[in-house]
Amino acid sequence: MMRRALVLLLLCCALPVLARTTLLEPLSAADIPALVKPPARGERIIALWALDCAYCEPNLAALVKLQRAHPRDVQLVLVATDGPGQREAVAARLAQMGMTGYPARLYAEPNPERINYLIDPDWGGETPRTLVIRADGTRVAISGELTPTQLQRIEP
Amino acid sequence: MKRIVCLFLLLCFASVPVAFAQDGMRMAGMSHEPELGASAAFDAHGRLWLVTARDGHVLVQHSDDFGKTLSTLVEVNQTAEKIYDEGENRPRIAFGPQGQIYVTWSHPLAGPWTGYVRFVRSLDGGKHFSAPVTVNHDLAKITHRFDALAVDGHGRVVVAWVDKRDEVKAKAAGKPYLGAAIYYSWSDDDGRTFAPDRKLMEHSCECCRIALAREPNGDIAAFFRGVFGDNIRDHAFAVLRTDGKGVHPQRATFDGWKIAACPHQGPGLAIGSNGVLHGVWYEASHGPAIWYGQLDPGHPPTHVLKIGGPGAGHADVAVHDHDVWVAWNQVSAKGYQLMLRVSHDGGDAFGAPRAIADSNVAVYSPQLLVHDGRAFVAWNTANGFRLVAIGSATKDTP
Repeated sequence: MMRRALVLLLLCCALPVLARTTLLEPLSAADIPALVKPPARGERIIALWALDCAYCEPNLAALVKLQRAHPRDVQLVLVATDGPGQREAVAARLAQMGMTGYPARLYAEPNPERINYLIDPDWGGETPRTLVIRADGTRVAISGELTPTQLQRIEP
Repeated sequence: MKRIVCLFLLLCFASVPVAFAQDGMRMAGMSHEPELGASAAFDAHGRLWLVTARDGHVLVQHSDDFGKTLSTLVEVNQTAEKIYDEGENRPRIAFGPQGQIYVTWSHPLAGPWTGYVRFVRSLDGGKHFSAPVTVNHDLAKITHRFDALAVDGHGRVVVAWVDKRDEVKAKAAGKPYLGAAIYYSWSDDDGRTFAPDRKLMEHSCECCRIALAREPNGDIAAFFRGVFGDNIRDHAFAVLRTDGKGVHPQRATFDGWKIAACPHQGPGLAIGSNGVLHGVWYEASHGPAIWYGQLDPGHPPTHVLKIGGPGAGHADVAVHDHDVWVAWNQVSAKGYQLMLRVSHDGGDAFGAPRAIADSNVAVYSPQLLVHDGRAFVAWNTANGFRLVAIGSATKDTP
């Protein structure tokens, strides 16, 4: 009993430490070819989101659920379209959403337009945007909070 | 076990001061990477004013040589506070009829999407500014942000913003609520006091700028993204009445772009001396597109013209007599081009698009300014502010 309580206490203490260990890497124009390169197997889901976007939180949660259902076939990458000046705010929001276990990127330019275009020229920057890149090189791109039907469509 | 406990505790305690230090930095509005949110405007004497933000301060500069040289920076808020100065949020500047300078910005609070609309004024030509006041009377810690500022024909200071009080109220009652709402207020005493908040329209977009322009009779009108029916993100037009009469927002674009998303692109509005409402807006019902049209509130716009497709964004519009200018950012793998189309017949026909400036570093949304019948584009870039002069009317003839 004592030992369990101690472990719980330690976990609570460690939470802020774990939260701050989020690997939030900048995403520059030069990094995009690697980001959108088809994975060796299954699919990569690039979840594009922004601090201003309230629709993004439930969308990220749905994509996390999908990834957990297919841990071997889905790589999930969280990409915030906010610029480098928002680094702390993005890290804090990821921690608050409990999304610290996934690779996370942040745009390296203060205006998202160029990186948006390089990721997907047919996207005008609305968020959430879900870009699925499959091992066979095919892509599915969907703007807006995903509906159950759309979530089914992007399952591996 | 004991050793593990010690290690954990050490880690936890070691991290505490760092965490506090980071919070302190954020509270002061500090940021090592400056954002590009800026506004520029000409005053009645042709002096160009630029408002930006850095390290928790809104900063004002002016130029008497069309942006070639800028004056030293004046901090409008003595005490640093967090400032929304990226994306569709930017500090704003406008002038009163006696040379008053008014500045607004949105100040983030602790929670996500929260904010207060802040206001200051200068009565000595920008040397000193009053202490900031909060314009929104509703002080709940919710969304009051994406402020827009204008001065009407009677010298009233009009401020509009995106507000979530109705959304919060509906959700507390267990009812669904799409989007946010547009609220506004005004000052009859040169910004000393502001009238109680007034609702312009429920169900607006949550994250797009509001465009304001002055009608020929001096009233201020707004063009903004709404949410119609089931998440259709078309635009609305409304006059911001300050005479106690009812407001009548009307749908003004009919693209039918249905989406549960933040477009991060609000519209642009310019009103001719003949009352013609020139609008530009973004939608993506059939792929990304920027449109120009003459608004006919309640009906689809006329003279609709597709201005840009993939890579085109953040358009603005201006009008003077028969000249109508549309400017926007065009991005490609190489960088940004500042694009322009001009009409000399009041917007019936436009010349071909042409690039008037380019940048290989990040740029902010272009802002069209008109002074003495000449048009300029204010373009803030990561390499500094640029005022791009648009050639005389004859040079622009298609």
